[in-house]
Amino acid sequence: MTLRKPKLGVLDALVLVALIAAAVYVFYRVRDGLHYRWEWEAIPQYLLRRDPEIGAWVPNVLMQGFLTTLRLSIWATVLASLIGTAMGLLRLSSSRFRRWVGLAYVELTRNSPSLVLVFIFYYFLGEQWLPSVGMESVLRRQSPETQWLVQALVAPPGMLTAFISAVITLAVLEGAYITEIVRAGVQSIEAGQREAAAALGLTRWQCMRHVLLPQAIQRILPPLGGQFIATIKDSAIVSVISVPELTFRGMELMSSTYLTFETWITITGLYFVLTFGCSMVFARLENAWRRARA
Amino acid sequence: MIRRFAGTALAVMAWIMSISAVASGGELQQKLTEESTVEQVIKRGVLRVGMSTFVPWAMTDKSGNLIGFEIDVASRLAQDMGVKVEFVPTKWAGIIPALLTGKFDVIIGGMGITPQRNLKVNFSIPYDYSGVAIVAHRQLAAGFSRLEDFNRPEVIVTARLGSTSAAAVNKLLPNAQKRFFDDESQVVQELLNGKVHALLAGTPLPTYQALKYPDTLFLPVKGAVTKEPIGFVVRKGDFDTLNFFDSWIRVVEAEGWLAERKAYWFETQNWESLLK
Repeated sequence: MTLRKPKLGVLDALVLVALIAAAVYVFYRVRDGLHYRWEWEAIPQYLLRRDPEIGAWVPNVLMQGFLTTLRLSIWATVLASLIGTAMGLLRLSSSRFRRWVGLAYVELTRNSPSLVLVFIFYYFLGEQWLPSVGMESVLRRQSPETQWLVQALVAPPGMLTAFISAVITLAVLEGAYITEIVRAGVQSIEAGQREAAAALGLTRWQCMRHVLLPQAIQRILPPLGGQFIATIKDSAIVSVISVPELTFRGMELMSSTYLTFETWITITGLYFVLTFGCSMVFARLENAWRRARA
Repeated sequence: MIRRFAGTALAVMAWIMSISAVASGGELQQKLTEESTVEQVIKRGVLRVGMSTFVPWAMTDKSGNLIGFEIDVASRLAQDMGVKVEFVPTKWAGIIPALLTGKFDVIIGGMGITPQRNLKVNFSIPYDYSGVAIVAHRQLAAGFSRLEDFNRPEVIVTARLGSTSAAAVNKLLPNAQKRFFDDESQVVQELLNGKVHALLAGTPLPTYQALKYPDTLFLPVKGAVTKEPIGFVVRKGDFDTLNFFDSWIRVVEAEGWLAERKAYWFETQNWESLLK
């Protein structure tokens, strides 16, 4: 059987026309039905603005929020991956106690409302775990360079406690899902592989390290990419504890300017940049890993 | 024997404790002073102020800086204390828990003094008075001209969650259906979309919105329907801080500075061009 070259048929044209009609309909509904004055021209200045003092372009509120979301997502995914891998390995352990520790973590986290966890971490555990006043005052006493570095990598001193509890909460939340991804990935490797490794005299750990994990990673990568994307989007929930990330800054901007829809649409676009970027990175990683293993 | 020994030990301990209690009376006072928020702020060199965006009390300008009446007040306060000011924009619904858990030193955020709130936190003397006003949808609330017109089960009103406007809705319009949102912008949008008959919000928001959308919105009742005092909010049990703030407010009030700033932000719109 030879493959036909795809051609634009009547049905395709119909679907296309229907889609365009729907888009036009929505556009007119929004224009006429929604009592709203669009002011798109005001939006670009909230992304970047020209600083008259240094004469250069600097990020404004929305871009600052975007950068905070980026920092938040990177720290949270790194930490979540560590937690997830460690807990995933516990879930695969031969000791019943370790398996139960992993199971308890996954079930307790996955079955609690994320918003509740955010509040609990910020208001209760954050107070005990992070000696906020101490950490903050230590940071304030550092040289301006150190302060600048911490601010560039983490958060300004005033936001440190909120930022760190946000990172921990997100990491713990997403770590539970990564645990299951890691466990399922390793368990999906055929039993013959483990048996062959055992027959060759490999220890359990050697078997995991040299036989199971390298094969499992190929199966783990696609759902892990999905989980990282979910983490970026979930990071918006920490706006409730006033971490100045993209959603929070956007909502503050809306309260000041009432540019409600313009701001929401811009925020959506900015999240898309992050999540789609994450998708592309993972597509490349999968390819690279497949080629390296081939 | 053991029981007798335990009794003696208890008596000795009680005696030691009573002595140390007498000795530490002075120390206690010193400790309280040292632990007061004012002292902490001076030591840290930074006054952390909790606030929430609300035109024209506090808002983000084009350059990403905070401006507004409250921002002026807090900046002058920090300047008079000889420290830097740091603003912590916080969601309104969580602003009191955040103060109680020490995320910032004081709320200067247009918070109205109410007995219910005062049971949880301490208020300074008022540095301002604010009122709640109502703005309504032209088509939906056509012919409504008194507050009582809105107090009917088929009428829907909206306000910001946890605000004094929300309290005013519950108190003044008990029969109306209520819909509360986290942000002022959502409240305004709900009204503009014609999903609700009216919104209640602190002045001057209702007037501004009616001016901005004259075809859609109107002011059924002129002026404010309630009046409430606005104070700084601090944690309980810290009288040094409270006294400092009270005195500061008296000083700037006597100078006429408060009235001058209030006139700039509430009676002119010269700052409008700073926003967008």
